[in-house]
Amino acid sequence: MELIRRQRNSYFFLSLASICLTVWIATTSLPKAALASGAMSLAFILFLVRQSRLLNDATLIWDNRILAVSSAHISIADNQVEKSTGQIVISTFGMLIGSKIYRWGLDGVHGTRLNAVEIDKEHMYLTFGDADQTMKMELLHGMTQRHAVLETAQKLWHETGVTAGISGW
Amino acid sequence: MDIAKSFNARRLSIAGFSFLFAYILSFPFEGQVLYSLLDLRGIDASTYIMAAIIAHFAGLLTCGLIVRTQAAAKNMLLAGMGFCLAAAVPFFFAPSAAWMAGLIANGYFSGCAVAAWGYFLKAFTPKNERIKSCADVLIYSNLLMIAINVVAVNRSPLFGLGLSMFCLLIGTFFSYIMPLGHQNNQGKVAESKASGGIRNPLLLLCLFVFIITINSGLMYQVINPNFDHLSGLTSWYWAVPYIVALLIIRNLPLKTNRSRILYVGMVMIMGAFISFMLLGRSISDYIIVDTLILGACGIFDLFWWSILGEMLDYSNNSAKVFGLGLSANVLGVLCGGLLGMSVTAIGLPGAQVAVIALTVVCVTLVMLPPLNRQLVLLLKNHTYLAAYDNMSQSQQTDLVRQIKTIEPLTAREQQVLQLILSGKSNRDIADALTISETTVKTHARNIFSKYDVSNRVELISSLLKHQIEK
Repeated sequence: MELIRRQRNSYFFLSLASICLTVWIATTSLPKAALASGAMSLAFILFLVRQSRLLNDATLIWDNRILAVSSAHISIADNQVEKSTGQIVISTFGMLIGSKIYRWGLDGVHGTRLNAVEIDKEHMYLTFGDADQTMKMELLHGMTQRHAVLETAQKLWHETGVTAGISGW
Repeated sequence: MDIAKSFNARRLSIAGFSFLFAYILSFPFEGQVLYSLLDLRGIDASTYIMAAIIAHFAGLLTCGLIVRTQAAAKNMLLAGMGFCLAAAVPFFFAPSAAWMAGLIANGYFSGCAVAAWGYFLKAFTPKNERIKSCADVLIYSNLLMIAINVVAVNRSPLFGLGLSMFCLLIGTFFSYIMPLGHQNNQGKVAESKASGGIRNPLLLLCLFVFIITINSGLMYQVINPNFDHLSGLTSWYWAVPYIVALLIIRNLPLKTNRSRILYVGMVMIMGAFISFMLLGRSISDYIIVDTLILGACGIFDLFWWSILGEMLDYSNNSAKVFGLGLSANVLGVLCGGLLGMSVTAIGLPGAQVAVIALTVVCVTLVMLPPLNRQLVLLLKNHTYLAAYDNMSQSQQTDLVRQIKTIEPLTAREQQVLQLILSGKSNRDIADALTISETTVKTHARNIFSKYDVSNRVELISSLLKHQIEK
């Protein structure tokens, strides 16, 4: 999340600098340069808006975290597999892996939804997606106590309405 | 028997208030009697007029702090009218400091008496009839005011003052014999836990009233002085279009979309200022300009008076709600007047003054439709919440469970929904569930999506519609 915030701040300062530059060039009567600089400002502003939205989603996910783990395998429907390490946060509204966000439960009934959760002795399997694409996530949950597993399952049900299947406990 | 009693009480309250209001309109509140008296003595009117308006504003605003019951409201009504009568006496004698003191007392106590009448409007007029009661008092008081104006202008200002005081005396008599203690059913029903939420609609209404009334203030300062040479005609015709507009709106069917009439009013008021710029200053020109502007004022006034009347149900302190709404009106007149005075004081040609005035009118009128939309949404929300609030806990739970959603709500969403339906704001819900406000908004969006609605008002109204269909 810090990375997202840093990127957002960078875009903010770049936009500001670029707007100032545009104004300065405009006052020196160089219309073509001012136009180019204006286009650059617009591009930075668009990046800033996109990054601000990303930061909002990341903050929402962080504020509503259910579980934090350190390793995950992400597989997409066409069997591409990706491994992630570092802090991974699972929340009511999605998952945050470093600066990458997987959203669910943010856009009502027609958006991406968390569909199923399975928890075994070592792993947690999350399935989420919309009508077009489904993704599967395999996490090393690191829980050693049964009550911790039950508590996580209860939180998941309370927040997302998905009943986790528990096996091997 | 009860209906007959209620009807009589309603008629008495309308009669009492109409005579009081006629006195206010003809004398302390920019009345023709006051203007004629000051003119007779060669005194500059502006200071006196401003002092009376400010005192009236203070009376309207502070009455709710003093008056909290119907009995206290009746006492305030009678005492206020008594003080006004006493404070008007110095005007029969030569000008002195007692004139200014009397006018300030008149402004203040008449404001208190007007605000106190809110209790009787709520108690004696059923909810859906309040627009008629408001129209009645405005029509009767304006008719009486015309009669007093004609006497003051064409016969003698002192005779006009005597006549306006006689009106106040009759109003005091009707108020004295007006009963206490009757409360219509709708009034009882609406006094609920949700009544605290009236603040936002009331503030929005006050803003609405203030913006509308700026135009009236401008009219007093910019248009009226240009037709001073037609005093014979203006003394009686001035309020006639206003009364006709009130009569038309009063008798429209209940189903009529009154918001659309606002647009008619807006066109009329702009037409009035444009006519004022283009036409001359003859009798026919005056009739056109006055008909357009006063007709629009009638439309606007009855619109907000009736909303204010309906709002009385959502508060236990009717004097506070009624006084606050009317004080916004007085503030609008004051600000519009000051604006008009500063525009005319620059010494610009008449056409330029009219253009400036028209610009102000256009700017203020552009703000009306979005304000009206917000007001309607807030009021609907409040009405639905009040109806929901009056159900028992089990009825509320049943109602929420019986309605099918596109997808079932999660446990967290159910918690958020219950708090939404209890009238809490996003901030309050966030505090209650110890989550962020953004999280509440996201849950609310998901809930609306599952019920296939787009906002709180639609959600609550669809829940209640389901209950009614059952």
